[in-house]
Amino acid sequence: MVEGAFRQRNGIYPMTNPILENIRRSLGSTIQTPLRLPPAILESRQTASVDSEVEIFLNELKKLSGVGQKLSSSEIDSALDTLVKEQNIHKATVWETPHLRQLGITAILHSLGVGLVSPNASKHEMALCDLGITEADYLLPETGTLVLNSSVEKPRAVSLLPRIHLAIVRPEMLRADMHQVFAEAKENHYLVFITGASRTADIELTVTLGVHGPRNLYVWMIDS
Amino acid sequence: MPKAQLFITCLGDQFYTSTLQNMTRILKSLGVELDFPPDQTCCGQPLFNNGFEDKTRAVALNFMHAFSKSDAPIIGPSGSCVSMIKHHYLSLFPEGTQGHTLAVDISSRIFEFTEYLVNVLNVTDVGAVYPHKVTYHATCHYLREMGLKTEAKALLNSVKGLEFISLKEEETCCGFGGSFTITFPEVSRAMMENKVNDILASGADTVVMCEPGCLMNVAGGLHKAGSTIRAMHIIDLLASSEESV
Amino acid sequence: MTHEVPTYIGFEEYSEHVPASIPSAVQQATDRFVSGRAARVAELPQWEELRQIGSDIRVHTIENMDVYLIQLEEKVKAAGGTVHWAETAEDANQIVLQIAKEHNVKTAVKSKSMATEEIGLNHFLEEAGIEAIETDLGEYIIQLAGTGPSHIIVPAVHLKKEEIAALFSEKLNINAPADPIELARIAREVLREKFLNAEMGISGGNFLIAETGTLVMVTNEGNGRMCTTMPDLHVAVVGIDKVLPNWESLTVFLKLLARSATGQKLSTYTQFITGPRRAEGEFGPKEFHLVLLDNGRSNILRDPVGRDVLKCIRCGACANVCPVYKNVGGFAYGSFISGPIGAILSPQILGTQAARELPYASTLCGACADVCPVKIPIPTILRHLRRRVAQGDAFALSTIPVPIRAAANLASLVLARNWIYRLGARLLPIINPFFRKNDWLSGMPYPLNRWTNVRPLPQFGAGFRKWWKVRSAKGTESTR
Repeated sequence: MVEGAFRQRNGIYPMTNPILENIRRSLGSTIQTPLRLPPAILESRQTASVDSEVEIFLNELKKLSGVGQKLSSSEIDSALDTLVKEQNIHKATVWETPHLRQLGITAILHSLGVGLVSPNASKHEMALCDLGITEADYLLPETGTLVLNSSVEKPRAVSLLPRIHLAIVRPEMLRADMHQVFAEAKENHYLVFITGASRTADIELTVTLGVHGPRNLYVWMIDS
Repeated sequence: MPKAQLFITCLGDQFYTSTLQNMTRILKSLGVELDFPPDQTCCGQPLFNNGFEDKTRAVALNFMHAFSKSDAPIIGPSGSCVSMIKHHYLSLFPEGTQGHTLAVDISSRIFEFTEYLVNVLNVTDVGAVYPHKVTYHATCHYLREMGLKTEAKALLNSVKGLEFISLKEEETCCGFGGSFTITFPEVSRAMMENKVNDILASGADTVVMCEPGCLMNVAGGLHKAGSTIRAMHIIDLLASSEESV
Repeated sequence: MTHEVPTYIGFEEYSEHVPASIPSAVQQATDRFVSGRAARVAELPQWEELRQIGSDIRVHTIENMDVYLIQLEEKVKAAGGTVHWAETAEDANQIVLQIAKEHNVKTAVKSKSMATEEIGLNHFLEEAGIEAIETDLGEYIIQLAGTGPSHIIVPAVHLKKEEIAALFSEKLNINAPADPIELARIAREVLREKFLNAEMGISGGNFLIAETGTLVMVTNEGNGRMCTTMPDLHVAVVGIDKVLPNWESLTVFLKLLARSATGQKLSTYTQFITGPRRAEGEFGPKEFHLVLLDNGRSNILRDPVGRDVLKCIRCGACANVCPVYKNVGGFAYGSFISGPIGAILSPQILGTQAARELPYASTLCGACADVCPVKIPIPTILRHLRRRVAQGDAFALSTIPVPIRAAANLASLVLARNWIYRLGARLLPIINPFFRKNDWLSGMPYPLNRWTNVRPLPQFGAGFRKWWKVRSAKGTESTR
């Protein structure tokens, strides 16, 4: 385990960092186990057709108390109408992305009498929203996960503050697994994996949804 | 004829004379020529498990000297004691010392009783008769340190008339843990009571296991609970015949 | 037990006074997590391989900890964050306080963080006049109750809904109903107000990715996101042992962690935070501070056996299968971390004087080692620490009470000399008549009373040696 090999050091660090010094002293001449990441473990899973991946995704979402459905872009109008009425939506905030703009989301909401709050508004104004609409930058079918970036057009609070989160997504966002997502997105300054609705079992193990994050998660898969 | 040496364990010695007699009879009936080195005392596990490695060495040396007069395999009725000798004796003695040399030898030829029967003699049927409802408690060191997952059940399976009932939480510790019963008696009590309750709920009239210490704990607990369920070492069950039931 | 750093952990005393409600509540939680875990493990045929790789990656990282921490610091700085190094708990507390003061913080919202419990940060900040509010529902409840956690994942599981309702009613001046859903809704409302107005968010971290300087947070409620998105200031206190080399190695742990902890495939929210926000409109903190906590970990590295404890990813699977833990709950372990991992971590962080009882708080059954996702050999480390307590080693002097050492001396004396042992074995049956009741022995004197108070002892009857002698003398003996 511990032999006479001397530790090699790459790079320079401030000699006055006592923690690093202590680490170095403690490890002394420990033999360094190499980093082993077997290809089999990192290999992306084989995926079947897009349709079956969509099915897997929607199934997993359902297990997590999410509500998913497949829609064509012409059905969005009535779907939003239903949602607004069923969930009593008065105020909403929407990501300002090209696709959502193309679908005319804000216009539809406006016509339904829903007040629109800018996604870049203050957190206090955002907190008054009932509904937050985003896209997803990636989708992970095996776990029913939405992966969201963060930017001025895609603010984090839209998927967090309102009590209902609706993600309007497309099959192109599907990825086989985490390996693929990380390969593409690791340089982003922020990523969030959303796997179902906010939940806790802290009180007598009773599962309660919507503790702090959104209580209801809707995902609409728009076929292109 | 295969030869073997009997390792009776300190607890076996004090409390389970008839179990040791049965172990002798069964092995003899399987054609094993037996010897009993009288200098044996204890494997040293209680000292070792409590962190007194320094004080364990003398005890281990006594054991190893006792069993080195012959090179025959050693058989014991306890998974934990056998594991102590097989897996931990080597760590007690630095390489190059006499103790280390002895430990290399001893650890290579020590067996737990059911292990010896099933894996060395390839025997699962010893002609036992025990027409009762029997449940099994898998003791921790026997199961996990010795890795004996199927041997006991294979032997029970061949007992004539035996009806096997699965025990709820079969693999959960009974709370013996050696000196744990003395160090934290109330926690030991809670664990023992859980095990006793599971046995009572099983519907069996007998509970069997492969460890004298755990047997002491569970049998005592069943007695205290006013139960008539028999707690036995597997050796005693395997020694049962038409006449004895 | 509060969130203050303990000076002595009396496991025996604590375990003797466990409130009756604790074992049943804890066992309900552990049963659920154990069956959930079993289902998820069954779904992954490569589970054992994942465990081995997880273990290997952690060993590699521990053995190269300085290299990865240097890379991590560089990347966090490049991302616009600030890195602070805290040697001791006191240092970490001072650093956080300093940051808070510089930003005129009056209220901080906290996401669940065992590192901050380890250092007693809440108590420290409150003494300095800063309100530090736990926002994880379970942590919020026990903060109001003024007690410690009974379980690593569900810290308030020992409290009934009626008790929680009474607690909320009293502390929040409302009429709270004894209904979990309503109580969660109340907490949501109360805490939302705090999230929106707090000047500082404090979090822990599950992993730190050296490759890009990324903090990974695994949560379920959304408070972790709130604390790190709403306030302008985010301070993360994370143990130096949480560092991982890169994103690829992270995938292994994301597959292991939630499955081992609660039986979920993934927790509800996993965040990957690299520095502060890049633009105002996106939300998120303006400033990101990472406080790297040592607090004894760099010393633990000196011990090739003990340092395997640093592999831990805080999933709680060991506690969920531990029959000792399930019967006593988290309080008996006297610190922020309980169960088998607590029994090997606390003695290494707090020392084997303060925590000398903990390594013995186990029957060495080994159930924990079977489920640990990173293959920490817990029973081996327990024995290793018992050796430190009993006889001392290179890291500490022995701290075992004198009477126990005397008993060990006596035992060694007797057991190493077969003539004394055999004499004793012949004499012991003499005492049987004095304590015999229905073929068992009860009411024995100290120390055997500790056995007989719980269940009777079999009678002493060492008869095998004589039987063997007689049998051998006879030559071929009968089988009866």
